[in-house]
Amino acid sequence: MASTSFRGRRILVACGLSGAFILVIVRLVNLQVMQSAELTVKADRQHQKNVTLEGARGTIYDRNSKVLAMNMDVPSVFGVPASLGNPGVAARNLSPILHVKATELEKKLKQEKHFVWLARKLEPEQGRRLERLGLDGVGVVMEGRRFYPKGPLLSHVLGFAGMDDRGLEGVELRYEQYLRGEKRSVVLQRDALGRAVFPKGLNEEGAAAGHSLTLTVDEVVQYIAEKELDEAVTRSSAKSGTMIVMDPRTGAVLAMAVSPRFDPNAVGALAPDRWRNRALTDTYEPGSTMKAVIAAAALEEKVMTPGSMIYGENGQFAIANTIIHDHEKAGWMTFAQMIQKSSNIGAAKVGMALGEWRVFDYLKEFGFGDKSGIDLPGETAGLLRGPRQWGKRSLASISMGQEVGVTPLQMVTAISAIANGGVLMKPYVVSEIRNGKGQLVAQNMPQAKRRIISADTARTLTTLLEGVVTHGTGGKAAIPGFRVAGKTGTAQKVDPRTGKYSSTLLVGSFLGYAPAEDPRLAMIVVIDEPRGEGWGGVVAAPVFRRVGEQVLNYLGVAVDEPVKLAMAGLES
Amino acid sequence: MKAVAFAAVTSLVLLFVWERVDIVRIGYHIERLKAQKVLLERERDELQVKLSGLTAPERIARLASDKLGMMQPEKGQVVVINFEPETPANPVAAEGEIRIAKNMVTRRAR
Repeated sequence: MASTSFRGRRILVACGLSGAFILVIVRLVNLQVMQSAELTVKADRQHQKNVTLEGARGTIYDRNSKVLAMNMDVPSVFGVPASLGNPGVAARNLSPILHVKATELEKKLKQEKHFVWLARKLEPEQGRRLERLGLDGVGVVMEGRRFYPKGPLLSHVLGFAGMDDRGLEGVELRYEQYLRGEKRSVVLQRDALGRAVFPKGLNEEGAAAGHSLTLTVDEVVQYIAEKELDEAVTRSSAKSGTMIVMDPRTGAVLAMAVSPRFDPNAVGALAPDRWRNRALTDTYEPGSTMKAVIAAAALEEKVMTPGSMIYGENGQFAIANTIIHDHEKAGWMTFAQMIQKSSNIGAAKVGMALGEWRVFDYLKEFGFGDKSGIDLPGETAGLLRGPRQWGKRSLASISMGQEVGVTPLQMVTAISAIANGGVLMKPYVVSEIRNGKGQLVAQNMPQAKRRIISADTARTLTTLLEGVVTHGTGGKAAIPGFRVAGKTGTAQKVDPRTGKYSSTLLVGSFLGYAPAEDPRLAMIVVIDEPRGEGWGGVVAAPVFRRVGEQVLNYLGVAVDEPVKLAMAGLES
Repeated sequence: MKAVAFAAVTSLVLLFVWERVDIVRIGYHIERLKAQKVLLERERDELQVKLSGLTAPERIARLASDKLGMMQPEKGQVVVINFEPETPANPVAAEGEIRIAKNMVTRRAR
């Protein structure tokens, strides 16, 4: 009896367990097979998190790998009004750290929103102070911010990036496609507490940083150029100033300065006028500096030799019912003296000897009226009309640098062609592009556009331009120990009120290169609307000398008049 | 035989469980290291920005003149010359470059 009842109980338990097991199996089949797809999606949503990563914007270096612009993660602060206990207290605590008025913060924190930005892209130290504060309902996220550690140095070339990390001006804009970091979505596994465990694929890599750029600019040369240009602009109470230092052998820009400067770290409410790179966006009438180009054409075409005689008309020359004046009355003079003394009448006669089409063709060959193709945004082509649109006086005017609009960049590129023996080079500011791993992606090499004049013509012209510095209007550009070739320029500006050339609104400039024998630097200095004596030889030539002397010394260029100077040094 | 089979199966199960637990543990470790790497990279970037600002030529020049009383060499005070001796006494230093600071040469001559 007892064994029957025990057996019955065993069967009962077995049936119960089997039933329960069958229920589990059924539930499992239901979950794992029938609802598999739907539940997998649900589980993934809980365990996985899609995160969009953006690589840091690429760094910009000078030619010696000195950092000029780089990205850094900095804190941005947000509030979650619903999670805040007392917005007033939170605002008062945050105010001294964020440097924002407590009332403003309180207003933001009282809004009926789930999320509100309180301050973005702060200094790292502010982030650390916020962390120590540990306020509920206030969070910190890290965002990339662009830093320009050298402040205003090279600002007009570098440009700047906006709040969204997009390049807005200068190199930052031109090379946006390379500098921008890669955007990539990564799937993270999360645990029950929502913490990231590791990426779904262990080989998953973060978003690649943007490419880095190496510029042709040397920060020391740039500093010297900016310092001297700023001083000259201040000294002469000028409206603005521009200076470019170029390696004439390659077309590489060593410095490009515009005064007044601006700090790309604090562009804020600055007017676009302040960050415009005048070296390539603004045109001006070059005045007598253009005579170097006309002289090159005349020598190349054998219309003139250094000894050719030109009559200076005693300082007054009538043409097309107008009178051309020279500041120094001259009778007969050689072509070389015409260059040295910067005779307008002489230049007009040389232009007339060449003829309209040859003058026009040479100006085009030297790059006027066309963009140079420099790798910077906003370049203008200048203004050079064809001979068919010229008036009766145009040939004479253009020969002395009027009725033609040029950029400082075009002028320095043209003088570089004379300096390097007659070849027009394409100017450039970026030499290398490297990816985040340091591998070379692209390289800008010196690019010769065309030969304009022969090496013999360039040599002859160099001798004539040396005369400008040793015996002519450019005496203040002389650099001790170096032979300097150059040309002064003083152009009258058109007075916007009268529409006529003004006698007080001037552009003083100096264009030249050194050492004359084997040029390492070609430079242009343009001072816009200086007060007082606005002659190029007075306001711009001294800047050329001071920059040239410091830069040649910095580059370790040996003097080309060694004996004279070494003896002078020992004797004193 | 059964006992051996049971032990083997149990070992395999335990091995599997240990492996899963270890993967999770290493996962957490990786995440900690990653967070640490990010912090170190931020610190590196911050230092790099600071270094770059501190070595700005404008600042160096200001410190040199204001704090150390240094000044730009006068016109022609520094002369860079190349020298190429006709018969080099020391072939290793056959060609080179010297810089003469005028004042220093004068002082030595005295």
